[in-house]
Amino acid sequence: MSGPADDRGSGGDRKSPDDKAAFEARLSDLEGKLGKVRAQRGNAQQSETDAKMRGRGMAYGMRMATEFVAAIIVGGLIGWALDRWLGTTPWVFLGFFLLGCVAGVLNLMRAYERMRKEMAAETGGRIGTKLPDDEED
Amino acid sequence: MAAPTGGTEGVGMPDPIHQFDIHRIIPIKIFGWDASFTNSSLFMVIAAVLTVGFIMVSMSGRSLVPGRMQSMSEVAYEFIANMMRDAIGEGWQKYFPFVFTLFIFIFVLNMLGMIPGFFTVTSHIAVTAALAVLVFVSVIIIGFAANGLHFLKLFVPEGVPAAILPLVVVIEIISFLSRPLSHSIRLFANMLAGHITLKVFGGFVVMLLGAGGAVSALAPLPIVAAVALTSLEVLVAFLQAYVFTMLTCMYLNDALHPGH
Repeated sequence: MSGPADDRGSGGDRKSPDDKAAFEARLSDLEGKLGKVRAQRGNAQQSETDAKMRGRGMAYGMRMATEFVAAIIVGGLIGWALDRWLGTTPWVFLGFFLLGCVAGVLNLMRAYERMRKEMAAETGGRIGTKLPDDEED
Repeated sequence: MAAPTGGTEGVGMPDPIHQFDIHRIIPIKIFGWDASFTNSSLFMVIAAVLTVGFIMVSMSGRSLVPGRMQSMSEVAYEFIANMMRDAIGEGWQKYFPFVFTLFIFIFVLNMLGMIPGFFTVTSHIAVTAALAVLVFVSVIIIGFAANGLHFLKLFVPEGVPAAILPLVVVIEIISFLSRPLSHSIRLFANMLAGHITLKVFGGFVVMLLGAGGAVSALAPLPIVAAVALTSLEVLVAFLQAYVFTMLTCMYLNDALHPGH
């Protein structure tokens, strides 16, 4: 902290053992500090991506929920309308309600596939594994 | 979002729904239909004027090396153009004006809603549903115009045994019809939920202060939460505009290239 680091190479072996020990202590001290700063920076980056991912995750969750529910509602409505028209309450409704559920799952699978592609394009296919937090990601 | 309206007692929870009230500014009746100019309409006009004004002013220089304002317009253009190039592929240019307008309109409306005291147009399902139906109907028309009856291939996936094909077609149709619903609900629900949450936290501040004594010392806590939520809401405002536009691109892609 007090002295510049570049006197290490020139004066390393000419120094008395006492000096050397002090220098070693300073060096390890510096290393500890650097490590701390690095860890902090890493944490800040981590939490930033975390916040971003959380926002994204909420959006995706919302998307999945609506995809699923919307299909069930549409299926149910079609069935209900057909029932009223044909006077077959509640059979067509029940059938279309189930078909709506199937369509909902289909929507989910498609939305998931799109999501997976988006994520794969962003992370280079490394999904599910923790990204190594090197500087250039 | 707006400054808490303050209940009649002064201590009670301010109504978090009050911010979504629609009131008529200029009452208009057309053949008995209420077509009044409301605060919602006002903010839509503000958004449209802001957008058109900004783009016209920023692009008026038309310099080769863009200035700050021109850069912003160009970034917006590039953003949508890249999205469409990726999602639609060939022939995206034709639909650029539509998608670009849609994105900017929703984005500006969402962002205007983030300003305290302003009305959030996109938190009303009537508005988002109208936009979603507009996209839905356009997609159908574009699909038939571009591919004729081939567009119906969208409902007939390949490689399905004839025995269960009718069932699959019905399911595909239900899935197709559910699009405008999920499309509109997503935008509306996100904006509505976000703004109610913000308002509720704002209400906590008022309630804690009103409680008096040692409890009032806790009042800054909800403010901290509201600040954090506001930044999240700004992100959501952008993200939802993006998602809405992105899905529009995907539906357009389906219409232009049915059968896969």
